[in-house]
Amino acid sequence: MKSIKILALLLGIGLVFSCDDRLDVVPEDQVASNTVFNSLATINGAVVGIYSKNQSGDLNGMAQLTGDFMADDVNFVGSFTSLQEIDNFETLATNTSIDNIWLDGYELIGAANNVIQNLPPVTDITGLDEATKAQFVAEAKFLRAVTYFKLVNLFAQPYQIAQGSNLGVPLVLQPFEGGDISAFQLERSSVNEVHAQIEQDLLEAIPDLPAENGVRAESGAAMALLARLYLYREQWTQAAEMANQVINSGNYALAGAYDFYDDNPGSSEHIFVVVNTPTDGPQEVAGSDEVYVNFYNPAPGGRGDAPFSQDLLDAFAQEPGDLRFTTLSQAATDAGGNDTFFTLKYPDVINNASDGMVLRITEMYLIRAEANLRGGTTIGATPLADINLLRDRAGLGPLGSVDLDAILNERRKELCFEGHRRMDLLRNNRNLRPGGGPESEPGANKVIFPIVEDETTNNPNITQNPGNF
Amino acid sequence: MKYKNLLCCLAALLTLFQLQAQDQKTISGTITDQDNIPLPGVNILVDGTDQGTQSDFDGNYQIAAAEGDVLVYSYLGQQTVRRTVGASSVINVTMQEDAQALEEVVVIGYGNQEERKIIQNVGVVKEEAIENLQVTSADQLLQGQSAGTQIVNSSGVLGSASVIRVRGVNSINSGSQPLIVIDGVPITDTETNTLQRGGNTGVNPLSYVNPNDIASLTVLKDAGATSIYGSRGANGVILITTKKGRKNQQATVTLDINTQYTRATDVPEILSADEFRRFKAEVASIQQGTQVTPEDLGLGAIGSGGTDWLGGVQRTGISQRYNLGIRGGTENTTYFIGLDYQDAEGFIIGNDQQRAGARINLETEVSEWLTAGMNLGITNNRLNRVGVENNTFAPFTTAFLQSPVVSAFDSEGNFAQSGSFIPNIFAIVALDTDELKTFRTIGNFYAEITPLRNLTYRAEFGIDKLELEEFLRSAEFNTPGGVAQQIHVAEDRWLTNQTLTYANTFGESHNLTALVGLNYEETLNTRSNVSATGFLSDDLRNLGSGSTPTILNGDRNPNRLYGLFSRVSYDYAGKYLVEGSIRRDGSSRFGANNRYGYFWSAAAGWVLSSENFMANATWLDYLSLRASIGTVGNDRLGTFPSLGLFNAGAIADYNGESGVIPNQPENPDLKWEESETIDVGFKSALFGGRLNLNVSYFKKTTSDLLLNQVLPPQTGFTSISRNIGEMENSGWEFELSTVNVRTEDFEWRTNLNLATIDNQVLRLNEDAATDPQGRRIIDGPIQRAIEGESLNNFYLIRYVGVNPQTGDAEWLDADGNITTNPGSDDRVVTGSPLPDFSGGITNTFRFFDFDLSVLMNYSYGNDIVIDGLRFADGNDAIGGIVNIRRQNLNFWRAPGDNAFLPSPTSPTFNLFNQRSSLQQLDGSYLRLKNITLGYNLPQRALDQIGNIFSGVRFYFTGTNLFTIKGDDLEGIDPEVTDDIDPLFQGESFFTAPQSKSYMFGARLQF
Repeated sequence: MKSIKILALLLGIGLVFSCDDRLDVVPEDQVASNTVFNSLATINGAVVGIYSKNQSGDLNGMAQLTGDFMADDVNFVGSFTSLQEIDNFETLATNTSIDNIWLDGYELIGAANNVIQNLPPVTDITGLDEATKAQFVAEAKFLRAVTYFKLVNLFAQPYQIAQGSNLGVPLVLQPFEGGDISAFQLERSSVNEVHAQIEQDLLEAIPDLPAENGVRAESGAAMALLARLYLYREQWTQAAEMANQVINSGNYALAGAYDFYDDNPGSSEHIFVVVNTPTDGPQEVAGSDEVYVNFYNPAPGGRGDAPFSQDLLDAFAQEPGDLRFTTLSQAATDAGGNDTFFTLKYPDVINNASDGMVLRITEMYLIRAEANLRGGTTIGATPLADINLLRDRAGLGPLGSVDLDAILNERRKELCFEGHRRMDLLRNNRNLRPGGGPESEPGANKVIFPIVEDETTNNPNITQNPGNF
Repeated sequence: MKYKNLLCCLAALLTLFQLQAQDQKTISGTITDQDNIPLPGVNILVDGTDQGTQSDFDGNYQIAAAEGDVLVYSYLGQQTVRRTVGASSVINVTMQEDAQALEEVVVIGYGNQEERKIIQNVGVVKEEAIENLQVTSADQLLQGQSAGTQIVNSSGVLGSASVIRVRGVNSINSGSQPLIVIDGVPITDTETNTLQRGGNTGVNPLSYVNPNDIASLTVLKDAGATSIYGSRGANGVILITTKKGRKNQQATVTLDINTQYTRATDVPEILSADEFRRFKAEVASIQQGTQVTPEDLGLGAIGSGGTDWLGGVQRTGISQRYNLGIRGGTENTTYFIGLDYQDAEGFIIGNDQQRAGARINLETEVSEWLTAGMNLGITNNRLNRVGVENNTFAPFTTAFLQSPVVSAFDSEGNFAQSGSFIPNIFAIVALDTDELKTFRTIGNFYAEITPLRNLTYRAEFGIDKLELEEFLRSAEFNTPGGVAQQIHVAEDRWLTNQTLTYANTFGESHNLTALVGLNYEETLNTRSNVSATGFLSDDLRNLGSGSTPTILNGDRNPNRLYGLFSRVSYDYAGKYLVEGSIRRDGSSRFGANNRYGYFWSAAAGWVLSSENFMANATWLDYLSLRASIGTVGNDRLGTFPSLGLFNAGAIADYNGESGVIPNQPENPDLKWEESETIDVGFKSALFGGRLNLNVSYFKKTTSDLLLNQVLPPQTGFTSISRNIGEMENSGWEFELSTVNVRTEDFEWRTNLNLATIDNQVLRLNEDAATDPQGRRIIDGPIQRAIEGESLNNFYLIRYVGVNPQTGDAEWLDADGNITTNPGSDDRVVTGSPLPDFSGGITNTFRFFDFDLSVLMNYSYGNDIVIDGLRFADGNDAIGGIVNIRRQNLNFWRAPGDNAFLPSPTSPTFNLFNQRSSLQQLDGSYLRLKNITLGYNLPQRALDQIGNIFSGVRFYFTGTNLFTIKGDDLEGIDPEVTDDIDPLFQGESFFTAPQSKSYMFGARLQF
């Protein structure tokens, strides 16, 4: 009897197992940061995640849309007061349309920094060779460069205002991994410093990126973005040469027709596109596709907030028959009930899956033409030849000669609704609105955005842009 | 209780030989109470044996015993009597009422304790206090019963959760609901498992236990009581013990059947269609200076019909409840079987519930050293939910707001579209489905081994398994294309508690009890949430028939807890008592650098009434002083709050390729929130138990409060959770119970409790927003937490009224000057949702065979904000399409008018209903929460019907029959809260009112 009692007690004590090591529970639906670099699949996933962030409607969508509202291609008709502020050059630091551009931008930069800093030391991963590793880092650098360029164009005065010595945006080059935040309360670097970082990232990325990389970044994409940077910095020779290299790379060619907007990411036209698909799923805030499709399309299907401006209609009307108008526009009623025209560049109202144009080969011809003209060179081709090539595709007759106005007019009609116009006007010292007042002049306080309030309240070192914010 | 059993067993062994040597005879007698009333059901035991019996309904008993045996007579609420058997074979016993029954054993954390010796601060709701209280949900058993336990019903909607606070709010972001433990099983939090239907209160976690199965509730309040629950004790702990059988008791079968009729307590008066037309036309005429007709405004002609929306969403809910309990025991085994079925209808259309529950509690003495048992309760619940609060699908909200001129039906009697974003609520309720089905099993198996004298080893294995499925289907008429959504949640917990208890008495008077224990729990929450749109027909019901399915959630969240604990209690002769406890908790939720938390408490007590120098104070039955200090934690931090995390899934994919994206920065230092409590008090019983008074004071300082530090966006993250904040709660608690009248045929008792709470935020994060005085704040649209002040302050523009001379609405600016155009800078602290004091009063009367219990609860000095009044008052909310309260008809027309609404031509006319103290109302109330009148059939009547029944009781219960409240609250229920979030207390958009109910029932005992 006694022995049974003791046995029972021992059995009971046997149940008093040690549980300490059972407390390390691993998440099943998220990846702990310390395991992201443990396999090729998750490393690739960390790079794919940056592309996914680039699909955010704030980075590709709202960033272009807000620029278009400030410039003269697009009318603003909607009811969003935050967009109305931007349209009226009255943007405040609390504006809810711009704070996510800033936040998503730095989220993307943080995700890229994570790869750029933490991937190179990783070794002994099955299937991960040095070339793949270098390519992943290069892709992250390309996406970081795209994003810094976007932020500096929106939140800082362009290079032309003070030859780049004015404040740009904070240059964060390492990921935040918890702990002390003082390294992430940086003052803004100058525009030149930001541009230098973009240039460095792209130059480092070009040799490590493959020439063909599906819908992900290719070496041509890095070169194309560099060409745009040089153009914006008025480094004409470098701009023309870089654009020329992309044109001559053989990887891209002008599409025969304007069929590359409608879910055609394989078109030879594309250098780098934000590919949106029907199955992208719920995105933070809103997806790229949702912003483009919603705003640029009339109801039903869209909101009808962003029709053609009268000025752009007039520009197309000067030369009737332009295929870029006749095949890429539709007559419809806008959100304010007016009969007007909408672009067809984001046509997929069914699935909200229209792609965002980031870099396409036509822009390289335009850059080469403008840089050659301004630099007095004929690298690759003459400006006239480049412009007539584009006019020919648009169904227009050739010009006899071109000047800067002609090139910018061609650029406008080619790239309208793709987010270029504001910077094209500002860097060429032209008022954002035809006959516009001082508020829309280059260098005016509110042709750029204020630093968002979340940053100014949580970062004592940051300097706000001038103007009443 | 187990110590007693143990001692009994040991005593039995020792007396074994003696018993065999003696001759037995039959002892009989009658047992009465001090008023000479026969006491049925008294337990009579031959001391040292397990021979026992009970007195019958006339107080008579018979038992076999030998001369020299000691008979022990025990009965709940009476002092235990011991009589030695002498020559006589008749022993009549008069029992004395116990001084508040202080000999009783009370359930505490991981054990029991004699009430007399308790130096923890616990609130106890005993079986006799609740056995005649007819309630439909277990939380109602606690309401108004225990000082410092505040329960606010969120609404009269069936299944809605109450906000339960033990000693106020002790957290800002991590949940302030107490830990609920049912028979040793801490149940999982359920509020995040169901879809929100407007408001933020979820489904009542206490709807998973049948109130008829509950034997007692203990609320653990001070650190002395809660620190044994370590990282989960900071919000208090509610221990629920279910009914057990009694040894050597014939089976009693109790069948309870009742029917309940339910209405809304109070609803605001709003305008009828014609009143609305006349009002709008008159206002427009004044504004435009020309006669405007309702037709001009598109409202249709006077008399052209409309809809009584508010009348249409209400009904008299009829509910039926059946409850069966079987309870008894043999020499070695006791059992309780409970069955429960209720079919309840709410007073809101579309809101009904069917609940079936079953319970079996079994305990058996396998041998003298081994006892094993099991408690198992299952509940199956089907609830048709309706929306509440700020939700256009909520019947009450939408019925208030919908224009009365809108027709619900077209000329052919079909549902008509409302024509605005406020839908036709009749169509929503009739055509849409919102069904929540839950199945929950809560139970444990336990074994108690006494290998050595004085030593008990107890092992418990428990589960809490919740299966929840919610199905929504919106019809074509309400949502073009239709939408279906199905959410499935499984929340599984298993746990083990293992304790070793040593209890002994040394010398004459040194009593020592020591406990060591282990607690391990694993919880896994699994969720899938899928929706589909694009249904061809309403007859195609389910997800698979929609054209576009979307997976909204599909995840599993595990967490684990491992605690080691110990408690040592020592007393000298029951006079000087000390107790200490310590617990080490490890949790998978805590950061790697703070994986283990240590929690402790120390308490001391002094029973003055046992001192010799108090012996002369015969009026004093009992008096003790006690004090405790200790720490407890709050572990509701989320599943992986400390890890750096990357999100996967749809948010991170690109062009069909899977990716991961940073989501949460790492914080390895993250840990529990910690509360340190000091508690002092006294307990007393006077005049032979006629008066009991307990008083306590506490101060609770909570540090390491989890706050979101907002990060500069250049980190790539918006915020990080850190243990930053500090908060303090302090308060007084009073419990007074009196026996006012006690005669043979009439008895009147009163229990009164009252608690005060004072809250102060000591520290917020450094980067928190600041007010003009430089104090850190957490700002919300209605409330503002202010460092150095209370966590909850209504922060609004002060509304003054309509100036009788000008007809303008007037407010005060920040400096206290009258203004007609205030701005958000003019907000000041205007009130507090925290009451000055709150509590409950229970009066019970017994008059011959009738008993009457009257429970009232009250709250004084708190304010509430009914945000929906911004829409229900004034002329212009949402473009003026919404209905309004009747007092708006009283608008200013001529100088001298004391109007509710400003002049239609005043520039303030459309500013009137902006958010201000106009929507803040005095929330003080005294409410008749529960009144129960019962009639027990006397014994002779039972005899007459052939003794089929051993007891028959008829009762009537009314709930919320009347409420004393401020005039401003006409049509508005003072018990509001639309959110369990501590930062949103006392706020509501439009809470559906509480229910007023009338219940008739009978309880039959076989």
